[in-house]
Amino acid sequence: MEPRPTRVIAREQVDAWLARLLADSQVIAPTTSEFGDEVMAPVSSPAEVLWRFTNPLHPPKQFLLPQTEPLVAIRRDGDGWQARTLLDERPRVLFNLRPCDAAGLAFLRRVHEVEPPDTAVLRRAAALTVVCLACTEPCPQGFCICSGAGPFAVENFDIQLIDLGDALLAEAGSERGAAMLAAAGPLFRPATPVEMRLRMELEEQAKRGFGEETCHFASAMRRVSTGRVEETLWSAMADWCLECGACNFLCPTCYCFSVGDRCEDGGYLRCRTWDSCQYAAFTREASGHNPRAAHGDRVRRRFYHKVSAQYFQRDGAVGCVGCGRCVEACLGTTDMPAVVAALRQGVWRG
Amino acid sequence: MDSLFLPRVARILEVRDETPDTRTFKVKPRDGNGLAFKPGQFLELSVFGHGEAPFCFASSPTRPEWIDVTVRRTGRLTDALHRLGPGDEVGVRGPCGNGFDLDAAAGRDLLFIGGGIGLPPLRGLIWNVLDERERFGRVTILYGARTPTDLVYKDELEVWAERGDVEFLVTVDRAEPGWDGTVGMVPTLFERTDLRPATTIAYVCGPPVMISFVVQDLMMRGFADERVITTLERMMQCGVGKCNHCAIGHCYVCRDGPVFNYRQIREMRE
Repeated sequence: MEPRPTRVIAREQVDAWLARLLADSQVIAPTTSEFGDEVMAPVSSPAEVLWRFTNPLHPPKQFLLPQTEPLVAIRRDGDGWQARTLLDERPRVLFNLRPCDAAGLAFLRRVHEVEPPDTAVLRRAAALTVVCLACTEPCPQGFCICSGAGPFAVENFDIQLIDLGDALLAEAGSERGAAMLAAAGPLFRPATPVEMRLRMELEEQAKRGFGEETCHFASAMRRVSTGRVEETLWSAMADWCLECGACNFLCPTCYCFSVGDRCEDGGYLRCRTWDSCQYAAFTREASGHNPRAAHGDRVRRRFYHKVSAQYFQRDGAVGCVGCGRCVEACLGTTDMPAVVAALRQGVWRG
Repeated sequence: MDSLFLPRVARILEVRDETPDTRTFKVKPRDGNGLAFKPGQFLELSVFGHGEAPFCFASSPTRPEWIDVTVRRTGRLTDALHRLGPGDEVGVRGPCGNGFDLDAAAGRDLLFIGGGIGLPPLRGLIWNVLDERERFGRVTILYGARTPTDLVYKDELEVWAERGDVEFLVTVDRAEPGWDGTVGMVPTLFERTDLRPATTIAYVCGPPVMISFVVQDLMMRGFADERVITTLERMMQCGVGKCNHCAIGHCYVCRDGPVFNYRQIREMRE
């Protein structure tokens, strides 16, 4: 692999760099909301950007696939109904994004490349600049090491920042990233061999922090892809799922949606809105027939989509980046590591 | 650049009652251009303010002057559509899906088996076949509905019955006064026709229950599973393989289907 252009910026220079980024485009970064929560949100000054934070509960997918996204404006004029495409491709910098979330965005971009490509989404993705911040220690529920999404990113970013203490190492992961570093001129200087060594040590140390508990996707994939999971296992899991959809909505790779019309002055907005495969109505037909009426079938669907070899082949990755949000949010116990363990062992302990 | 979801505005030319709850809407895109579709494909039809839903093309691409869409009133969007009449505007988007493979059917005997509201997707295919009649072998149409009232395209059924180059048989589950035809489920018609499994492709569309017993019957009579073709229905939203509502395993009914042969259906796994 080609060595990445790697530069270093002193800690006290970072705000100057951020100020330049803020002058050119919207910057979205982990910040503290007015209610005290750590969230990914647009910031207006470098001081608002957090550097030590727990990964926010909401992944950044809302900036690629908004929860409700107007697709088409529908209006009536003297000639009858008119329908017009709505596009949002404002340049946005996602700053201090965690590697798992950068992987999630790359995953979402790939699924929208599948024929026929959704060009509106792809153009919005192209307008996103990803500046990720490598994780130097595992987060409480994270298992990104099992899905290859972290703790340091190897792809899916324009720039990856690594916190060296009094300085930040900046690796360019794309031409755009390299150009951004070049454009920042003297704010950045070349990395020294000592700094490069420290970077490698930090990565090794972060990986060691994950311990013995892992999420074995490969063995779960083998069973799910060949239909070798007992029917009763899915229904037993279903008893522990409250069908709230939180796992879907908080998942950086979930993208199921529905399309509907919203009233707006003088017409309608045709919008797509996040939906959940765990809801019974997701597959209920107009006749009332529901091919996935059984809750266990819906749990099975979620994990088939996430970890089957069939989807792995299409999407180039399992549909999980190991961020651990489903572990945190699940009101029951049907989060990814728990289900993967059950699939592997053939036993559900609830 | 147009969104994948951008509908074209179309005008309703005519509305015809088929049954007490089913109507056929003749629509035509307002810009005058047709939709280049194949029988078996479907379109997303919008009633502005009520969203959109998938409906099969019920007419044949060999008759491109308009598009027929036959719709049973069964929910919010179809209620709203049934309130519309000639001159009103709707949205059309598509064509979506794979459609029937007419080239693969060329030279073969064709057996169409429709149940109730399952006739519309076959009707487009049937007229396409009849308009290119010399390309195909024997054409047999078997149609069944619950009662004579539930039969759709009643005028056309007579046309098919009178044509010398088509064998048309119809049955109802329950007779009504004035019905002197066959009574019984669709497979009762199998006894009245000469099925030739070796040379025939069977197209089966109808309610899920009807499809399953018809297909079982055809298998027992020696039809190969890849020569039994049907269209699957699923809750759909996007029609382009993105929203995941219609997924069966990693197959998307809207994009990879809705037309599948029975071998493909048997191999679907989730």
